[in-house]
Amino acid sequence: MKMYFASFQDLLTMDGHGFYVWSTVIVTLLIMIWLLVAPILSRRALLKEVARDILRERARQTSPTNTQGES
Amino acid sequence: MSWQWFHRLGSPRWFYHNSARWLAWLCPIAAAVVLGGLVWGLAIAPEDAKQGNSFRIIYLHVPASFLALAGYYIMAIAGAVGLIWKMKLSYMVMKSAAPIGAALTFIALFSGAIWGKPTWGTYWVWDARITSMLILLFLYLGVMALQYAYHSIDAASKAGAILGLVGTVNIPIIYKSVDWWFTLHQPATIKFTSAPSMHPDMFQPLLVMIVGFYLFYAVALILHTRSEILRRERKTSWVRELLNEKNQDVADKKVGKS
Amino acid sequence: MASSVNSGFLAWLRRDLLLAYRRRGEAASPLVFFVMVSTLIPLGLTPESARLAEVAAGMIWVMALLATLLSVDGLFASDYQDGSLEQLLITPQLLPMPLLGKITAHWLTTGLPLTLVSPLLGLMLSLPASGYLPMICSLALGTACLSLTGAVGAALTVSLRKGGLLLSLLVMPLYMPVIIFGTATVTYAIDGLNWLPPLAILGALFAASVALCPLAAAGGLRITSAN
Repeated sequence: MKMYFASFQDLLTMDGHGFYVWSTVIVTLLIMIWLLVAPILSRRALLKEVARDILRERARQTSPTNTQGES
Repeated sequence: MSWQWFHRLGSPRWFYHNSARWLAWLCPIAAAVVLGGLVWGLAIAPEDAKQGNSFRIIYLHVPASFLALAGYYIMAIAGAVGLIWKMKLSYMVMKSAAPIGAALTFIALFSGAIWGKPTWGTYWVWDARITSMLILLFLYLGVMALQYAYHSIDAASKAGAILGLVGTVNIPIIYKSVDWWFTLHQPATIKFTSAPSMHPDMFQPLLVMIVGFYLFYAVALILHTRSEILRRERKTSWVRELLNEKNQDVADKKVGKS
Repeated sequence: MASSVNSGFLAWLRRDLLLAYRRRGEAASPLVFFVMVSTLIPLGLTPESARLAEVAAGMIWVMALLATLLSVDGLFASDYQDGSLEQLLITPQLLPMPLLGKITAHWLTTGLPLTLVSPLLGLMLSLPASGYLPMICSLALGTACLSLTGAVGAALTVSLRKGGLLLSLLVMPLYMPVIIFGTATVTYAIDGLNWLPPLAILGALFAASVALCPLAAAGGLRITSAN
């Protein structure tokens, strides 16, 4: 498999069409990466939230006189 | 007895535990195919006689369009399965599929628009394909907005599933109507480099990219579904257990290190 | 027992027509909208007759579509608020039949008046003479399709607070084939071609809508009633 372009410089400019091709590639890759990263981040946030809920419940159980609820 | 696997498939907990294993091998394969295909199409394949190097956008535009349309049907089928078998997991998959499909539709529109500039001199052309893609985006946004508007998750899922089915029935009608409308008003002969008449050196990387995008879609769908499972099931005991296991792992590692 | 299917349709048709008659002013607002907004077109574009004639067919159709879109929200809204929607859901009749009655009443109070007023608008927007009959035929069939499809969207959004805007977003893609073939009917006639084929396709869309939309709307209503 030989590269079609003579040099790396040619690959970037693509005979004047470089702007169109590379801007499309960059935007597409950014969106695809975001589609993969966003659920990972939200999953971590959810796990942290569940951990907080567990702690909150445990605190409520260990101090039964605290019926007004923590602020 | 053989339907057991089908109903086990409907358990969010089963899916959550097993999808972690699936991702372990699916992710590297998807990455390899997409990046390999991209390098092949951008750097190695020959340029088009008429359009020059800007035709290389096809390696992103066509796979994105394929997946945008396939993704809608996947979303609609997930909704239908949820309605018929009342499977929670199916509804979660439907909800996850919507934003992924919408993003892919946007990629298709964006890449199509940029491709239009060097080819026909303008960023937007009301041709049949782009117009159909735009309508598909509206259909996706409708399903997302409808689910978001309901407070009850059950009602949101059912309403979204019905709207998905209505859209599915309408998509062939809409596509055919727009196609017919465009031929009615055709200003000039505008043709994409149609796939079958493409030279194999240009067609092969396109096939690789299409396969790669399908794999990417699978990874994204699994990731989003895992997140949605946690969101809906966070009050259940198995999620609590999951967290305890994780904490235990962390604690064990600390003890092991010291 | 055989008559129970039909009696649902006529009973709800009569009911909705009677209600619309009692609130005549409100029921007429889509029509008023249709006429008034058509005045905006020359103001926004040009008073020249020749240029208006080019866009008249499409503009009248777009205005009719928007007027119907605004009105379809009210199909189930007042029934939802006063509880008659609950009554509708527990009647012994098959739900699609009373719904078809309501949708027919909606068309009789919006689509049909729009169709009958369209020649007036054609005059105002310099629609060529050969376009009048196709305009009436296409609007009659087309607004019926719009009412039917709009009912599905209305059923899915009736219990939501800002349902009206969401409804427009939902049904807009479904409206597009109707407007494509509706305007094509008129422009074919203006260009001297046979305008029956696009009208036939519009008829096919109407037939499919009559068969399927009441079922989909019934399904949607059953969900929203549980919300």
